[in-house]
Amino acid sequence: MNEKNKHMKYMKTNIAILAAILLLVSSCSKDFLDVPPKSFVSSAEFYATKDNFTQALNGAYQSLHGVYHYAYVMGEMRSDNTHYYYKENDRGRQNVEREDIDGFVSDPINQYSGGKYNDCYEGISRTNVILDRIQGATFDDAAKNEIIGEAKFLRAFYYFELVQYFGGVPLYIHEVTKMSETALPRSTKEEVYNQIIEDAKDAAAKLPAVQSDKGRVTKGSANTLLGYVYMTLKNYSEAQTHLQAVVSSGTYSLLSDYASIFDPKNKNNAESIFEVQYHQGNQGLQSDWTYQFIPALSNTVVITGVVGNNGLIGGWNKPTDDLMSSYEEGDVRKAASIADGYTDADGNFVAMPFVIKYLHAHDNYNNTDDDWMVYRYADVLLLLAECLNDQGHPDQALPYLNQVRTRAGLANATTTDQGQLSEVIAHERRVELAFEDHRWLDLVRTGKAIDVMNAFRTVMKAKYPYLLDRTYQVNENKLIFPIPQTELTLNDQLVQNPGY
Amino acid sequence: MKKCETKWFGDRFRHYRKFFRVMKLLLILVFSGLMTFASSSYSQVATLSMNMTQANILDVFNAIESQTEYQIAYNSNNLDVSKKIDLKVNNKTVNEVLDMVLRPENMKYEFIGHYIVITDSQTEDAQLNQIRQTSLNISGTVTNTSGEPIPGVTVVLKGTTTGTISDSDGNYTLSNIPSDGTLVFSFVGLRSSEVMVSGRTRIDVKLQEETIGLDEVVAIGYGTQKKRDVTGSVQSINTEKLENLPVAQIGQKLQGQTAGVEILQTTGIPGQGMSIRIRGAASINASSDPLYVVDGFPIVGDISNINPDEIESISILKDASATSLYGSRAANGVVLIQTKQGKLGKTQVSLNAYYGIQSVPQNGRPDMMNAREFATFEKEIREENAAYTGTTANIPEEYQNPSQYEAGTNWYDVLLRNAPIQSYNLSVTANKDKLRTSVIGGYFKQDGALLNSSFSRYSLRINTEYDLNDKIKLGVNLAPNHSITETPNSDGVLWSGGIIEGAVLTSPIAKAINDDGTLPLTANAPGLFPNPNWYRVVQEVKNNTKATRILSNAYVEIEVLDGLKFKSSANIDLNNQQLLYFSPSTAGGIFAPPPQKTKAAITTSSYYSWLTENMLNYKNTFNNDHHINVLLGYTAQKYRYDYSKLNGTDFPDDQVTTLSAAATTTGTSDISEWSLLSWVSRINYNYKDKYLLSLAMRRDGSSRFGSNNRWGNFPSVSVGWIASEEDFMKSIDKLSYLKVRASYGITGNNNIGNYSYYAAVNSQNYVFNNVLANGKATTSLSNSELGWEKTSQLDVGVDVGLFKDRIFFQYDYFRKYTSDMLYSLSVPEASGFNDFTTNAGEFKFWGHEFVLSTKNMVSDFKWNTDFNISFVRNKVIDLGPGIDFIGGLTGDPHITEVGQPIGMFIGYVFDGIYNNQAELDAAPKHATSTVGTVRMKNTNDDNVIDDNDRTIIGNPSPKFTFGLTNSFNYKKFDLNIIISGAYGSEIMNRSLEYIQNLDGVFNVTKDVANRWRSPENPGDGIHPRAMIGTALARSINSRWVSDGSYATIKNITLGYTIPTQSKLKYFKSIRLYTSIQQALVLTKYNGSNPEVNINGGDALAQGIDWSVYPVPRTVSFGFNLNF
Repeated sequence: MNEKNKHMKYMKTNIAILAAILLLVSSCSKDFLDVPPKSFVSSAEFYATKDNFTQALNGAYQSLHGVYHYAYVMGEMRSDNTHYYYKENDRGRQNVEREDIDGFVSDPINQYSGGKYNDCYEGISRTNVILDRIQGATFDDAAKNEIIGEAKFLRAFYYFELVQYFGGVPLYIHEVTKMSETALPRSTKEEVYNQIIEDAKDAAAKLPAVQSDKGRVTKGSANTLLGYVYMTLKNYSEAQTHLQAVVSSGTYSLLSDYASIFDPKNKNNAESIFEVQYHQGNQGLQSDWTYQFIPALSNTVVITGVVGNNGLIGGWNKPTDDLMSSYEEGDVRKAASIADGYTDADGNFVAMPFVIKYLHAHDNYNNTDDDWMVYRYADVLLLLAECLNDQGHPDQALPYLNQVRTRAGLANATTTDQGQLSEVIAHERRVELAFEDHRWLDLVRTGKAIDVMNAFRTVMKAKYPYLLDRTYQVNENKLIFPIPQTELTLNDQLVQNPGY
Repeated sequence: MKKCETKWFGDRFRHYRKFFRVMKLLLILVFSGLMTFASSSYSQVATLSMNMTQANILDVFNAIESQTEYQIAYNSNNLDVSKKIDLKVNNKTVNEVLDMVLRPENMKYEFIGHYIVITDSQTEDAQLNQIRQTSLNISGTVTNTSGEPIPGVTVVLKGTTTGTISDSDGNYTLSNIPSDGTLVFSFVGLRSSEVMVSGRTRIDVKLQEETIGLDEVVAIGYGTQKKRDVTGSVQSINTEKLENLPVAQIGQKLQGQTAGVEILQTTGIPGQGMSIRIRGAASINASSDPLYVVDGFPIVGDISNINPDEIESISILKDASATSLYGSRAANGVVLIQTKQGKLGKTQVSLNAYYGIQSVPQNGRPDMMNAREFATFEKEIREENAAYTGTTANIPEEYQNPSQYEAGTNWYDVLLRNAPIQSYNLSVTANKDKLRTSVIGGYFKQDGALLNSSFSRYSLRINTEYDLNDKIKLGVNLAPNHSITETPNSDGVLWSGGIIEGAVLTSPIAKAINDDGTLPLTANAPGLFPNPNWYRVVQEVKNNTKATRILSNAYVEIEVLDGLKFKSSANIDLNNQQLLYFSPSTAGGIFAPPPQKTKAAITTSSYYSWLTENMLNYKNTFNNDHHINVLLGYTAQKYRYDYSKLNGTDFPDDQVTTLSAAATTTGTSDISEWSLLSWVSRINYNYKDKYLLSLAMRRDGSSRFGSNNRWGNFPSVSVGWIASEEDFMKSIDKLSYLKVRASYGITGNNNIGNYSYYAAVNSQNYVFNNVLANGKATTSLSNSELGWEKTSQLDVGVDVGLFKDRIFFQYDYFRKYTSDMLYSLSVPEASGFNDFTTNAGEFKFWGHEFVLSTKNMVSDFKWNTDFNISFVRNKVIDLGPGIDFIGGLTGDPHITEVGQPIGMFIGYVFDGIYNNQAELDAAPKHATSTVGTVRMKNTNDDNVIDDNDRTIIGNPSPKFTFGLTNSFNYKKFDLNIIISGAYGSEIMNRSLEYIQNLDGVFNVTKDVANRWRSPENPGDGIHPRAMIGTALARSINSRWVSDGSYATIKNITLGYTIPTQSKLKYFKSIRLYTSIQQALVLTKYNGSNPEVNINGGDALAQGIDWSVYPVPRTVSFGFNLNF
């Protein structure tokens, strides 16, 4: 009996210990399963403070790096300004698809037009998050308004890129948080432009004339954007208003030396209105166009001063003979923009012209400090001249045009014939803004693209036997690019642009 | 009288106790194999010599005790030991001496154990009788079913450590065995036998072979079960049979052994590349790897670095009832691994070693042009191109006279070598007192058949279990291992630096080694992409990984009540890994020949995973017929992974390889974690050993899922009926066993990354004022509803034994649905995001598995066959709202489409060449089509060839897979042949995009010489004309898809066991063997490896070949020594 009791007691103790252990392990369950990420912030925790929104805004600027990495392919190579050094043996997609855009035979799977589309929307999505969430944040309205102004500028800018290159695109103006919100139908061009104008006007109202952080957009940036938008819509009076606002603001002036506009030592100078910012080094913030623009070389030291092999990436955006011969005698811009060739390691001159606007001293291969000039004062002056001439005021246009010509070392233009002046301004824009991704859109805006490119075709075909018959067949459909195939596949509400 | 006797016996027994200790020591020595002590009748062997006059009987007894190992017990009431006698004997046995002494006294004697018990002939003394009853000398012979004696059988008194081992004639003797005891006879490969002593002194035993092993105990989740009673689909593999395969990983040993489990060796990289998929497991985004459980511990990662020699058995849990106790991680099946434990009554020291040479077979090597052919090709395509354009060919000097070249450099062969493989394992398993220990130390080294590749592993495992008392058991397993891997970047597409593909594309005119023995830096040729010297690249670039892993468990098991056990365990898996990368200026890669910038990187990663488990297990039998086993437990597991990487550039030269010499260093680091809480429960019920029922349930909570969907339940039920136990079936004497079983259950898959449900805000920096400005952006969409991926599975099976189980057959049908798949749905990028992680879609899997084991011959010549064949199918039922397919976008070779099997190949359908203008004019065309270019099928009748004409062009999944193992034994020889194979799988050889490129920028395969050259000379109709700008030929198309069916003789092992009667006394057994691994691959596939699969575990992207490390053939010699 005693034994049995002892046994029972032993048993009871055991069971008590057991129960205690089970309870112990199960009691900590809630905290145990809460394992927040350590290597990133979750969006539910972010977007609270002013600093958060400033960082989010910087993130929205960052998409510009994507937009401009290959912007020259659609902005310049598509036009009569540049071509490429044909690489007979390297038929990789990354090459062929650039040639396809140059030759007007690109398709909806083209990674360069697709990349532009996606990069713009990435930036738009980042601005949408800011604009949707900022009202709920608790910091002062003045600071909020500055952020809203910049975000709206960026959204308008990205949509302006899209509408010019792709036509009426889906209009995402709110943060996407659900699967169901990810696919939208295309809006009309008008709807997109209305959104752009609304955003840009609000930006112009909210933005300061000068930013202490060099590189942030300003009232001038927003007015320039509006000037471009209205010029594209042929609403000349509105365009004039905004362009004139830039000129009369007194914030901007032409630099006396054309080449120094692009010198990284001289970033965000008096002429700069909107400039994409880069910084060389290992932070992933560098630019690298120079290595794409110079000929493909086994050792780039002979041009850039830095050892490297750009054999696979070089040889693009090559100035055409057509462009090079269009510079007037004495135009200082030619030598500042184009090199006729280079001297190889043996001291021989190799006559292979290339763009040097973005060639400046730097430390490492394929890692440069050059910014990309999006809007600058000379651009505004010429656009204003174009705007005034288009409204039938060639006389009013001439002073703006001649400011730019004077700086280029050229005599004043004098014609007051609207048609002639229109040609003069267009040519002036071509050489002043060469390789700055304006040429193709200028041709489209001014309605000259089809004529100019079909004429250009004859020249090119004669010169380059590798160009297939189907290239440079330019018609109305080719003025915009196709919607990327993957977008069409994933969103059955989308309709492809005609001709693709 | 009694009092006196008791006291007297008490004294004597004290003496005996000391004696027992001596005996135990002796026994241990016996078990250690240092002495053979297995005499059947000591009393007949031991002899005495005495010369005594007027000595009393007690003196004689003392003399006997001092000269022999016997102790003599007698009753002084019956025997007057002071009686004086004379005794003179010489070399007489104990019996003879006792006869002489005791016959005059009218006493008789008996040997009981090591006692000699003397009784008077008339009376039975109660106490002596008791000794006699409880203590017997037992001897006997152990034979196999054909009557041959088996040496080395362990014979143990059940529940004790008392035991012996049968001698070379199969005889054994055990002393001092209680008459109501039970003897356990066990021997590797034979079914253990338990025999009740029941007072007998001679017990002869026939041991059955264990091929069927219905009484074999197999590991199931959280416990073990007799194979006979298992109701789920569990396949257990005893690795002892596979011990001698000369391979690094356990996965390689399992090839061909398992039904319904596809085990592929996707690459020959030493120590890597095994892909294991159970029942076609597949999911859209989550991994399809099974869960590995080592000694009860669900480990993180795989088992590739575990020494296969540490593994005693493997159970593969396939259906839901077998796996559901692993709940949220069980959907892909579970592989349970039991490591070697100290065995009851068995102490053994063994040394296993082998040495082999690996070489890459000629078959399957790419058939590239040699130098002369290549120069001819380069010359001709220039001439052909000039002819098309009407210009004159500009032929570089190097190609003008092809006949000046011979074979040149075979860049594939240059990378290869014959390389040694070696393995040494020393193991000690012991069982002393209450302590069971198993210690295994191993060293393995495989030099790769590709230069500079190697894998070596140092491993140690100590498994110990100690009985604190008869209620409490403590155990500790500790298994550290350290591996060193040197892995050149051999596999994969040239863009990612794949050395093999880069090398085969290199000009055969270029030299790997100069005539003077120096090594050129580059391997260039006119018109080709610039190349480095791959012979340098493969050797000079260092990719050295050192990994240290410690797997350990500690547990305590307490028997709280009779039948109720509580087990608590703590488990930890620690891993530390460091990758050192160094690329000198002389290496470089394709398109980037040296000199290149010297680069170095150090990647350090470490993880720990700990698990605590608290389990209650109650096992009892009611009314003899109701057997129940109930399990209830609670577990908690946590994992943390730390990663950091440092990159160094701007080295002054190649001399110092550490980052100390780098002028620029950058770094990054990352941490990720998860945790899991679970309840497990199971009831197994068995009625009359005929009707079986099992109910199981796991409840898992995981940190990986959205807060709204954190917990999941995973129930299962299974039933079994052993029909052959029914009386009406017993009359069918040919049918020895018949079991019907069925199961249904739900399991989950949580392999989708740790933070998928969060919307991540990541750094996206920008620049203002020419300095970095911190930027952030939301880069993914959140989904707080994100939950488990569920798989429901039905399994119906039957097990049949015929002719006393000489034929054993097993069949399983399964059908499973995987739904709520964790899936990153692609979304329009216009939304700002690429994908949305959600639970969507449904796959259906079904299949038939057959296992047949037969004992074809059982006499002197034994022949056993194990055959398995599995038919596994799948179909996509749904992919979420509005989604018809996944993948298949341009450039993606796979598409997973509703209504089709998963992961089908998609591309153009190759339809020959436009041989002439008329054919071109008549046919639909691609934008780039001209005469002599490839013609693809117009599949959508729109009269133009474009992206929309891509269609399904193949299925990488096999129609069936099979394994066949034949074992032969003749006297001391054994032969084992393992074959594994698959039928109907297709492979897409994407290397063809490059090795048949007609731009003239690479070396190409020999058959490219048969290309189209003109309408009059159209070639073989496969290779188009050499012309630039016709990239359609390089788009994914059906010509790259070929039949991947194969049958591989994975291993042939021939062994010879040296008879133990020989002079090698110190060895219990010696076996010598030779083996050929990957002996012969029979396949139509012309690549190097029909098991190739460059995408590893991605079930939706199987069957792609991009030039992989070939699997070598290994010829090895080895021995197994048992001391």
